[in-house]
Amino acid sequence: MAIEDVAGRPIQKLLQLTSVSLLVSALFYAICGRVHAQEQSPATAVINASGDAAKADIESGRYLAIAADCIACHTAPAGKPYAGGYAIKLSLGTIYATNITPSKIAGIGNYTEVQFARALREGVRIDGSHLYPAMPYTSYTMLTDSDVHKLYSYFMQAVAPVDEPANSLTKLPFPFNMRMSMLGWNAIFLDNKRFVPDASKSQKINRGEYLANGLAHCSTCHTPRNFLMGEKRGSALAGAPLGPWYAPNITSDNISGVGGWSDAELVQYLKTGHVEGKGQAGGAMAEAVTNSFQYLRDDDITAIVAYLRTLPPMRDSAQVKPAYSYGKAVSDESTLRGMNGPNEHNSLNNGAVLFSGYCASCHSASGSGSGSGSGQDYPSLFNNTATGSHNPANLVAAILYGVERKVGTKEILMPRFDAHSYVNPLTNLQIALIANYVLKQYGNPGELVTEVYVEQARKRGE
Amino acid sequence: MKLPTFTANGDATADVLIVGSGVVGAMIADQLVSHGYSVLILEAGLRIERAEAVENWRNMPFENRIGSDFQGLYPQAPNAPAPLYFPKNNYIALSGPDGNSFQQGYLRTVGGTTWHWAASCWRHLPVDLKMKSTYGVGRDWPISYEDLEPYYCRAEEEMGVAGPSDPSMQSPSERSKPYPMDMVPWGYGDKRFAEVVNAHGYNSVPIPQGRSTRPWQGRPTCCGNNNCQPICPIGAMYNGIHHVLRAEMKGAKVLSEAVVYKVDTDLNNRVTAAYWYDASKKLHKATAKAFVFACNGIETPRLLLLTANAANPNGLANASDQVGRNMMDHSGFHCTFLANEPIWTGRGPAQSSCLVGPRDGAFRSEYSSNKMILNNTTRVGPATQQALKLGLVGQELDDEIRRRVAYGVDLSISLEPLPEARNRLTLSKTRKDPLGLACPDIHYDVGDYVRKGMIAAHKQLEHIGQLFGAVEFDITTSLNANNHVMGGVIMGSNPKESVVDGNCRAHDHANLWLPGGGAMPSASVVNSTLSMAALGLRAADDIGKMLAKD
Repeated sequence: MAIEDVAGRPIQKLLQLTSVSLLVSALFYAICGRVHAQEQSPATAVINASGDAAKADIESGRYLAIAADCIACHTAPAGKPYAGGYAIKLSLGTIYATNITPSKIAGIGNYTEVQFARALREGVRIDGSHLYPAMPYTSYTMLTDSDVHKLYSYFMQAVAPVDEPANSLTKLPFPFNMRMSMLGWNAIFLDNKRFVPDASKSQKINRGEYLANGLAHCSTCHTPRNFLMGEKRGSALAGAPLGPWYAPNITSDNISGVGGWSDAELVQYLKTGHVEGKGQAGGAMAEAVTNSFQYLRDDDITAIVAYLRTLPPMRDSAQVKPAYSYGKAVSDESTLRGMNGPNEHNSLNNGAVLFSGYCASCHSASGSGSGSGSGQDYPSLFNNTATGSHNPANLVAAILYGVERKVGTKEILMPRFDAHSYVNPLTNLQIALIANYVLKQYGNPGELVTEVYVEQARKRGE
Repeated sequence: MKLPTFTANGDATADVLIVGSGVVGAMIADQLVSHGYSVLILEAGLRIERAEAVENWRNMPFENRIGSDFQGLYPQAPNAPAPLYFPKNNYIALSGPDGNSFQQGYLRTVGGTTWHWAASCWRHLPVDLKMKSTYGVGRDWPISYEDLEPYYCRAEEEMGVAGPSDPSMQSPSERSKPYPMDMVPWGYGDKRFAEVVNAHGYNSVPIPQGRSTRPWQGRPTCCGNNNCQPICPIGAMYNGIHHVLRAEMKGAKVLSEAVVYKVDTDLNNRVTAAYWYDASKKLHKATAKAFVFACNGIETPRLLLLTANAANPNGLANASDQVGRNMMDHSGFHCTFLANEPIWTGRGPAQSSCLVGPRDGAFRSEYSSNKMILNNTTRVGPATQQALKLGLVGQELDDEIRRRVAYGVDLSISLEPLPEARNRLTLSKTRKDPLGLACPDIHYDVGDYVRKGMIAAHKQLEHIGQLFGAVEFDITTSLNANNHVMGGVIMGSNPKESVVDGNCRAHDHANLWLPGGGAMPSASVVNSTLSMAALGLRAADDIGKMLAKD
């Protein structure tokens, strides 16, 4: 077989890696599809370093760790910061994030800076064994020596050591327990090159690229992958499925990408997760806003935005207008009232009634949401990327899994409607009826959601 | 996960059989299934879903809505009627001087009556458990407030209660843990009302509520739809269905339209089996090690009387002849007026503040305490009715409705009954439900203790009216029910005078528990649900201990 990857490298020898690609496939959802927000502050431990320069390095490292969102995976729910133990459940077994506190017993306290750098940028542990790419080392490989030093300073000196090992260790069944097989995968998909600024571009754009592609690892979710689950190099940030969600195209294209968003809107989105009239962050992006983006400096956020503007526009020819341009306020309320009696037991048999009963109390009967200035945060369902998209994944996933963000002290929660719902579990048929009603009324009427589609979205979220 | 087992013909075996799937039954199920026991719940009523109630309420005629018809929108199982009042279905026949004040609204539905409650989660005062020894009236509980307090904390945690963190605003302030969430923020009306009345000792405080003030375990934050009763449309309010769903996720089995009508007891008077009719009136049998009747204050005593057998000829658990006696509710009335300034009630949940100043005092040896809730349900309905009666039309009508909405005040006053044997639920000799099972009859007389308390409350209200320069000041003359049914399987230490012990275990049957409002020996003056849940959790611990010994 003469298959080549997009970089032109022969890969036939690597077909034995199919099992690894399956694993990697599962991992990419698992690392991005986490559904808990961190409550712990990483800024708790006492700093032991002396000297202003050393202190500055530690503080920079703290910031870089937030930008890289390390805490998201390396802290168990209600666990101590960076003490590991967070379970990433896969159908083939469970991977547990490790303790990366500076404990010499249980954490990374024995790592030299060189060993730390190797783990971060090459996915190799102190004992020489390979990390699974749940750790996004293919992105972190861009990190400069200086930033690695700062991160090392922070983790070694400002993170409180936790001497308890993560409560469980990863034990995957054969062949996934063969960490050596990552060698082959890395040969193709790990550049192992540090970031080199492009002198033809502004400092701001270079900074944005470094943040977006390195620390913030945007491409991990937003870049489509090839069949070995490597990122497609020609389609950077052109949008990709992520479990039941879809990480949208964030290239500069006016229709398929974010070309129609203003800089201010993109900044607001990254800082708060919500821009009325454009869209809101759910799933893994809500976590990224909650754990990471909201804490980034304004100049870094604007740098990321500036970099996104330079990405080559990627157009999906099936799209004729931007997702956020669909729909308008329209209400069936006046035609619904009185169509059923006041004591019905089996009247929830169409999208309009289900929408009225389950959605309209927050999003309003007209789909307008709570409106700006109301102090509430229910988005409009029209002019909304989730409902106007040519891919209804985020609409269905939002109904199934809800939306959860915390920005500052403000907590946003749209309840989930899957089997774990606190409001009312809905069936596949009910969700399909609601989704199709919302698409027809407020979103992209060309899309259709089937019961099978909803069932698949449930399975992908397990 | 241990599941109940079923034979081909639908008979069942489980560790625990619970009759009733409301807040108490469902919470006990969740506790015991979490400890690895198999749990079967038999619920007489239908399984509904939230949006049915939401849409039914929206489709209700104005007359039902303005009359607070919280029963009619919930569809009923053909074989398990519950009271209806628009029009009356006379499922319960009421008699006695205050029979009309006992028109209770409770649901026989999977999830129970907390589908349409207002989520007030009050605790009894410590002294409420010692009425006889402190004030010489009523009964003492066989357990102390200190015994119950940890269960109050657990119940608050289970239900996600939002309450004031400031002890001076807590009633009572004797707490070992803070509320799980801070209080529901007061609207202008709550703040203004408290400002005026608190200077005079009425002590308006935040009502502790089973309602989210921030996202809580996947439950959204209350956004003030203001129709907590008859249904929270977004699930921000605790409903018993939440524990039904939780218990089911862990392996509990819930059968709806399953009406229990008979039990077997053995030579030691332990319950060995219960029998039920399914929706097609087919008979089934369930065997279990532990039995729980959690059917609230009316259906639990009714079921005990219905299940009389040769060994228990006066009804199950009824050697004391106390089953069905001591029926209590916080009989209440309303006071409405137009204030001399806009009060703007109607923003936020249906009720958020309450005057607890008259909740306790030496006067309780003579007459009933009271509490006064500032009703925060929107005044648009009543204001419209009143404005229409004035014959106004057009802009004048609109303006008058607006004025009355802004200035209108409605206080809902509750009084404290005493447990009295004459207030009694019995089985009808003439009326039967569709399965041929006797319907309940209830005789009710609030007695002088409550009547004197009502007169005291009237005086307080007249004073409050003066503070607001009230016009159109009106106090309803008849007493209304508040659906806080208590007393029918009363708790006590003496098996000759009571039905259950301090763990809600029947004195007569070592493996039968009757938790909930029926067990409460004193009513206090506050809503009973949190106490019911706390007693349910205490019973669950007791059941767990018994099962662990097996």
